[in-house]
Amino acid sequence: MSTAAEHARGRAEPDGTAARARGLTKAYGSGETTVLALDAVDVDITRGRFTAVMGPSGSGKSTLMHCLAGLDTVSAGQVWLGDTEITGLKDRELTRLRRDRIGFMFQSFNLIPTLSAAENITLPMDIAGQRPDREWVDQVIDTLGLRDRLGHRPAQLSGGQQQRVACARALASRPELIFADEPTGNLDSRSGLEVLGFLRQAVDDLGQTVVMVTHDPGAAAHSDLVLFLADGRIVDEMARPTADTVLERMKRFDTVRAAFDDTSGREK
Amino acid sequence: MLKATLRSFLAHKGRLALSALAVLLSVAFVAGSLIFSDTVTRTFDRLFASTAADVTVSPKQDLTSRVPTGVTPTLPASLASLVTGVDGVAATHVDVAVNNVTVVDRRNAPVGPTTGAPTIAKNWYVTKRSPVKLTSGHAPRGPGEALLDADTARHKHVRTGDTLTVLARPGSFRVRVVGIATFTTTNPGAALLFLDTPTAQTRLLGRPGAATSIAVDAAPGVSDNVLKQRVAARVRSSAYDFKTAGEQAKSDIDQLGTFLDVIKYVMVGFAGIAVLVGVFLIVNTFSMLIAQRTRELGLLRALGADRRQVRRSVLTEALLLGLVGSTLGLATGIGLAAGLIRLMSAFGMNIKSTEMVIGWVTPVSAYVVGVGVTFVAAYLPARRAAGISPMAALADAEIAGVGRPLRVRAVAGAVVGALGVAALAGCVRATRTAPAASLLGLGVVLTLVATVIAGPLLVRPVIRVLGAVFPALFGSIGRMSQRNALRNPRRTGATASALMVGLALVAGMSVASTSMSKSFDQQIDKTLGADFVVQNSNFQPFPQEITDRVRATAGAGLVVRQRFTPVAARLPDGTRVETTAAGYDPRLDDVAHITYARGDTAAALADGAMAMDLTFAKDHGVRVGSTIPLRFPGGRHTDLRVGALTNQGGSENFGMQGGLFFGMATLQKYAPDGQDSALYVNTAPGTPKDRLRSHLGKTLAPYPQVQVRDQADYKKLVHNQISVLLYLVYALLGLAIVIAVLGVVNTLALSVVERTREIGLLRAIGLARRQLRRMIRLESVVIAVFGAVLGLALGLVWGVCTQQVLALRGLKALAVPWGTIIAVVVGAAVVGVVAALLPALRASRMNVLAAIAHE
Repeated sequence: MSTAAEHARGRAEPDGTAARARGLTKAYGSGETTVLALDAVDVDITRGRFTAVMGPSGSGKSTLMHCLAGLDTVSAGQVWLGDTEITGLKDRELTRLRRDRIGFMFQSFNLIPTLSAAENITLPMDIAGQRPDREWVDQVIDTLGLRDRLGHRPAQLSGGQQQRVACARALASRPELIFADEPTGNLDSRSGLEVLGFLRQAVDDLGQTVVMVTHDPGAAAHSDLVLFLADGRIVDEMARPTADTVLERMKRFDTVRAAFDDTSGREK
Repeated sequence: MLKATLRSFLAHKGRLALSALAVLLSVAFVAGSLIFSDTVTRTFDRLFASTAADVTVSPKQDLTSRVPTGVTPTLPASLASLVTGVDGVAATHVDVAVNNVTVVDRRNAPVGPTTGAPTIAKNWYVTKRSPVKLTSGHAPRGPGEALLDADTARHKHVRTGDTLTVLARPGSFRVRVVGIATFTTTNPGAALLFLDTPTAQTRLLGRPGAATSIAVDAAPGVSDNVLKQRVAARVRSSAYDFKTAGEQAKSDIDQLGTFLDVIKYVMVGFAGIAVLVGVFLIVNTFSMLIAQRTRELGLLRALGADRRQVRRSVLTEALLLGLVGSTLGLATGIGLAAGLIRLMSAFGMNIKSTEMVIGWVTPVSAYVVGVGVTFVAAYLPARRAAGISPMAALADAEIAGVGRPLRVRAVAGAVVGALGVAALAGCVRATRTAPAASLLGLGVVLTLVATVIAGPLLVRPVIRVLGAVFPALFGSIGRMSQRNALRNPRRTGATASALMVGLALVAGMSVASTSMSKSFDQQIDKTLGADFVVQNSNFQPFPQEITDRVRATAGAGLVVRQRFTPVAARLPDGTRVETTAAGYDPRLDDVAHITYARGDTAAALADGAMAMDLTFAKDHGVRVGSTIPLRFPGGRHTDLRVGALTNQGGSENFGMQGGLFFGMATLQKYAPDGQDSALYVNTAPGTPKDRLRSHLGKTLAPYPQVQVRDQADYKKLVHNQISVLLYLVYALLGLAIVIAVLGVVNTLALSVVERTREIGLLRAIGLARRQLRRMIRLESVVIAVFGAVLGLALGLVWGVCTQQVLALRGLKALAVPWGTIIAVVVGAAVVGVVAALLPALRASRMNVLAAIAHE
């Protein structure tokens, strides 16, 4: 938590890596039918930045996120979160790590239906048996404009509001890293923009580190850096992207893909 | 459609297995009890039919008592020679059989069974019908010789040449075992001792020329019925009963019947509980399966299946389940019966398992119960399934049942509940036993139905309260489990109902039996004034010899005898009441505290006088001074004047309707053959109680059939009798819990499947496996405790009402077994933990990513 406090000062300079992977390989199946979802990927996620991971379906972008977040095991290679190597950790340690140092947003079904918005936001800390930092949580809630929705159950909230609550939950424990898996995938464009704005704000104003997996060039344009994945490898990266440049880059994949045309459909 | 049904049946076999288990248990108890009673009945049928003489002449028993009196009715043995002359008689045998003797070995240990089966001493003669044959030694000759049956000899290590003491009514005597007789038929559990005929007559009956019955063998070609008529015509006396072999066998079986009936009723009780609880489990399983398959069924409807087809599909599944469950249950029932038969042999009743009888009724009942129960239980869910609209296929998977309002339930529950409460209120206010008991029954059924209907409505308020401590104790995990239990009130309610029914019955019965215990305690405190009571623990009367010995014991002061006799009273209002009356020695006041409304002990025990219960007297128009014509066994009769009216309460119990008693002199005059049932003994002045007790212990050492008890021991004796009822209650509880646990497991397993994504999310954001398991465990506990609280509340109400009915019979004390109740609540929590084991394990083993991606 002490490192998180340092980032909170502001986003003057990127100071080191929040997570990195070396030779990260993930294979599904065995023998003849083996499919490589990730093929010896090296990646560094810079602290205090908003990183987007893009790629066509089956490129391995979700798998990369799951491996970096300790949700999935790796077949080969190493992954660090800060200075902690997470490859080889046991389930119990990984669970603690996710609970204390990582925030999550998913495409859908982000909230526990029986808990109110406020209870959902502080859930990771409640599970850990820690007292939330009230001041910080209030700041997050106000930033996301959820003040008057705190007592509501998820079923009483719109999709955009639900995703904002999920965002607040991801931020509430001031994790070292927030992973967002297609956070705008299920939202209409206005709500989507709102959520992207909040993630941007979280990085700029609150000093958080965000990794977002998306296939929407418009969403990727909100990031500082876009990593392009194809067939389990990082094939390109783009700093200060715009929707147009990203779209342009993606189009080139399609032509490449058309040339190979034997991609294995492994996504999620 | 049938193919789809079969596929779905097989696809859900895990969940259906639990329901099948419930069906299996109910069917097993039904089948087991039928097989057992058929087997036992058939065995004894055969035994009695093969051993009964063609015609039996026995003394007519015009009056019978439910309280043992120790009388052995006799007839003159000379009747045999009269009968021998009848045309068609091949042979006659004089039977001398007494079944209330005690036989002890050299160390004064009883040789006969101590579990309630009789020890029978009889005269030895051999016919083709004898149930035993001499297998070693020689037939008894003269007063000092006897044969013993082989089973008893083996169990009690008695050998030829050993000396035994026979304690019979005329006095005790010693015999030497000169041979062993072995059963050629099934041993019904009794011990048999054989003497020669003159010895049996003098030593067992005390009358040289007497017999207990005459066995008549028919000549070839003469039917039993014809012979019976000829014998009756020759004897020409209404003092005797004439029975053919068939009639004799039937009456023997009827006498045995009460014992077998008890076992049968117990088994039916178990079957009933299993069926009742099983129905809830099956209803719940099918409701859940249908909820889970809403989209699938919607798709079937969208593809053109009509409502009837959907309903039939679900009912076919139920039918399959019922068939499978019944078949397995029938098999288990056979095993259960075999186990019971083996258990019986522990009590000395040696029935061979190979002689097991499975009549056609057994499989038919098994399938009727099994399939019927499943079908009935699945009917409502099937109708609901048929009501699913084709749109359900397109809609989001909405959990059926959550959204539908509970208004209908609220109204129905309130109406039925109000009726039930009214019936119970009526029962409490009733002043007569019969209407109170029927109101109680009605009230119990109605309140049970109301609670089951309204269960889901009670889920919210009750679980809010029960689970209120969870968030404080277990943080957000506790909060989530509490809310998960509230999520689907219908399901939670139905799951808890299974537990509730069982616990309600048990709580009710345990309140009633604890109250009975306490009432008896109070009655003993109030009425028993003697220092010691000498009595048989089965309340069997004992020989005069014992009374004489007690009287002669150093330090014994006053000894008051108690005897019973059956009587028939003709009352002023014209009714004839057959009951049992007691006779006491004078100075009864020194050993018992009797409350008199009119008169006193002296007036009650005076010559030609009697006492009667006040309420009974009022009901039949009897007053002090009324003269009541009384008939005694054997045709003796007299008129007694009512000298006193008692106000004891509880005198209607134990076949002692009317609470009649009179002086011992009166009883001995009109019922001369009785034996003493109890002796109330006070210490002589200056003798400490302890000393008298140890003296009595020494005096009575040769008579193991009687024990010396002070007030505390006497209470213990009564408690033990009631405990038997309680053990039964606990066994029922156990069964109910086993089935209810299956229900909770079922519900939790489904909840876990339904909440797969939620569980995945929780795990992703850092919920440890241990915490997840705890969450499910807590949900399970809160459901189980909810069921327990509801059941106990209902059961307490029932118990209190039952006690009110018992109070009308004089059992006035109310006692609530708080210890048991707290134990049950704790037990319910444990049940919850146990039920959650598998579902929790399954949830914690889920792959996080797969769970999140789960549809």
